[in-house]
Amino acid sequence: MTTNKNDKFNARTVSEEGKNTVYLSGELDLSVAPDFRLVMEPLVGDSKVDLAINLKELKYIDSTGIGILLSILKARHSVNASFSVEEVPTQIQKLFDMTGIAKFFEPQENSQ
Amino acid sequence: MKADQTVTLNLPATADYVDIVRLNLYGIASKMGFSYEDIEDMKVAVSEACNNSVLYAYGQEGGLVEVVFGVTREELTITVKDEGVSFSLPGNEPSDTAPTLHDKDLHDVEIGGLGFYLMQALMDDVNVASESGKGTQVVLTKRLTRSEEKV
Repeated sequence: MTTNKNDKFNARTVSEEGKNTVYLSGELDLSVAPDFRLVMEPLVGDSKVDLAINLKELKYIDSTGIGILLSILKARHSVNASFSVEEVPTQIQKLFDMTGIAKFFEPQENSQ
Repeated sequence: MKADQTVTLNLPATADYVDIVRLNLYGIASKMGFSYEDIEDMKVAVSEACNNSVLYAYGQEGGLVEVVFGVTREELTITVKDEGVSFSLPGNEPSDTAPTLHDKDLHDVEIGGLGFYLMQALMDDVNVASESGKGTQVVLTKRLTRSEEKV
């Protein structure tokens, strides 16, 4: 089956001075995990620039997606660079709290 | 409990079809009167069960995943079954001490093993039967809460 992956999941990067923000929309699951990794890879390595993902339009995340966020956290931590999440929907925040990944993200004043 | 009605899906064990399971789950669970939050919880749990079959059951040649929704007045059971190699990866067995990240530092965190934890945390019952050479069956149960039932 050829799924139109852009309909299902999309990651759009906005680069401002000193900060990259990746806006995620749709469903981040096993099937789009490779695409998400590909988008994030060059940004994760850039330790001089802050990195954030905005989850306002993200409808769903599974343990594969949470696993990728964890590996980004580890990679950013090892080069002393920041990684934050913005506008986390309630249902996704619940999964972040349950798994325990929530405590590794820097606090955001604009989280829901 | 024996299901009054069942809906069965047979899907290729690939990541591309897991969203089809979520769509069917949504339809059945909302018809039964589950709350939005319960449906979201079940979506995560059933996807994790399917992910395990997709990732671990079959090799290159692929195979099928069978998903059976069992509907009664009181509960929804979702059975996810494959006929592949049974999986018993370290940290992947359901147990009371399923690994979470709560008491870990970032250096000690290992990626993976969260899927089973989420299934257990989000469903009322999780039963995993895995037999060598006969595949794996995961049965997930969610009970309808009386107070949220439609009158």
